[in-house]
Amino acid sequence: MTRVTTTWTTQGTTSAALGTLAAEGASGALSGERGIVYLSAGRVVHVESAFTPDLGALLTPSGAVPPDGWWDAVDRGGTQHRVGHRLVDSGRLAAGALEVCHLGALFDAAYFLLAHDTRAHRFRPGASHWLGAVRSVPVDAVVRETGRRRALLDRIWPDPAIDTAPLTRVPDARAAGLPVRRGRTLTQVDGVRTAAEIASALACRTYRTLVELRRLAAAGLVAPAPPAPAPSVPTADPAGGVWDDPDTALLRRLRDALEAL
Amino acid sequence: MPGIDESLVDAMRLPGARGASLVDWISGLALGAVGDAPAGDWEATAAETAELARHVAENGSLGAGGTAPSDREPAVEDLIATTADAYHLFRFVSTPFDSTVFLHLWLDRNDGNLALARIRLAEMADRLVLG
Repeated sequence: MTRVTTTWTTQGTTSAALGTLAAEGASGALSGERGIVYLSAGRVVHVESAFTPDLGALLTPSGAVPPDGWWDAVDRGGTQHRVGHRLVDSGRLAAGALEVCHLGALFDAAYFLLAHDTRAHRFRPGASHWLGAVRSVPVDAVVRETGRRRALLDRIWPDPAIDTAPLTRVPDARAAGLPVRRGRTLTQVDGVRTAAEIASALACRTYRTLVELRRLAAAGLVAPAPPAPAPSVPTADPAGGVWDDPDTALLRRLRDALEAL
Repeated sequence: MPGIDESLVDAMRLPGARGASLVDWISGLALGAVGDAPAGDWEATAAETAELARHVAENGSLGAGGTAPSDREPAVEDLIATTADAYHLFRFVSTPFDSTVFLHLWLDRNDGNLALARIRLAEMADRLVLG
């Protein structure tokens, strides 16, 4: 059991709070404005954000794991925080595939949480993610990678609004001869959806979708949609709510699954 | 079933292997690495080699014109770079979900066997994601 001080609360940013918790070897869940970082012995084991599809949304639409297999793993492994192990142990997913997919999701979510680096909200010592231990990454590697990704995206088109705002097609812009993936991304731009929703719809990694969207913006084909005139209640995805309790993510998914039966 | 580290350790068993890594080519991030890094630093190596891989993966010229169309993405399987004393072998990993990774194997030119390494690295890439 590690002793966690409250030093992290004096830090002005989520990344600085993470640095403090890492130095203390802390385990638990740190909530920020755009997601939650799960730490184990001071290393990052998972990151979740409402702005990125979770593992299930990446693995099931592609057929890498059949939906009932995914839910079976969540069902049997969720409460013990061993969903990842269950997927591998039951032969539904190769160990390497789980690690690659998990790291992809971890760094994609970290980008949203840390590129918009506001003060962390709270830390729940000992809280762990239902996915369970897959691979861990040092906090400084996650922070460094986020900075690098932000610079890479800004080099393509320096408008961070593309990452989070509803996106719209620029009228009369000619979109001939686009590479397949970029064209496919463009077809999902409808004036309402955000990059995260487009990534989910295509079952694509979010960072790669951001790259394509910033390229489309640089080509003058896509722009942030002007704000809607009437106050509309966002009916975004179930994950779009409040990030108060790490276990609510699991509960929401269970609820969605039950409703889908 | 091998994970990332086991696969890289496996790759290091090939004759002449100096270093191996798994790199995400869309971001330039090293997801794992073992042995020596070509420039002494895996992060820098990953960022540089990812630029090359990204160009090849995203621009159709090298993958186009084949007589056997495939769903494989990217169409290119490997890249090989040679220097006076080394080979660099890059193998794109084809996954059943959306991902953008390649294996990079750095081989000593005197001790390494490029043909053998190419076949083995392809097998390792498949085992990594398919079990």
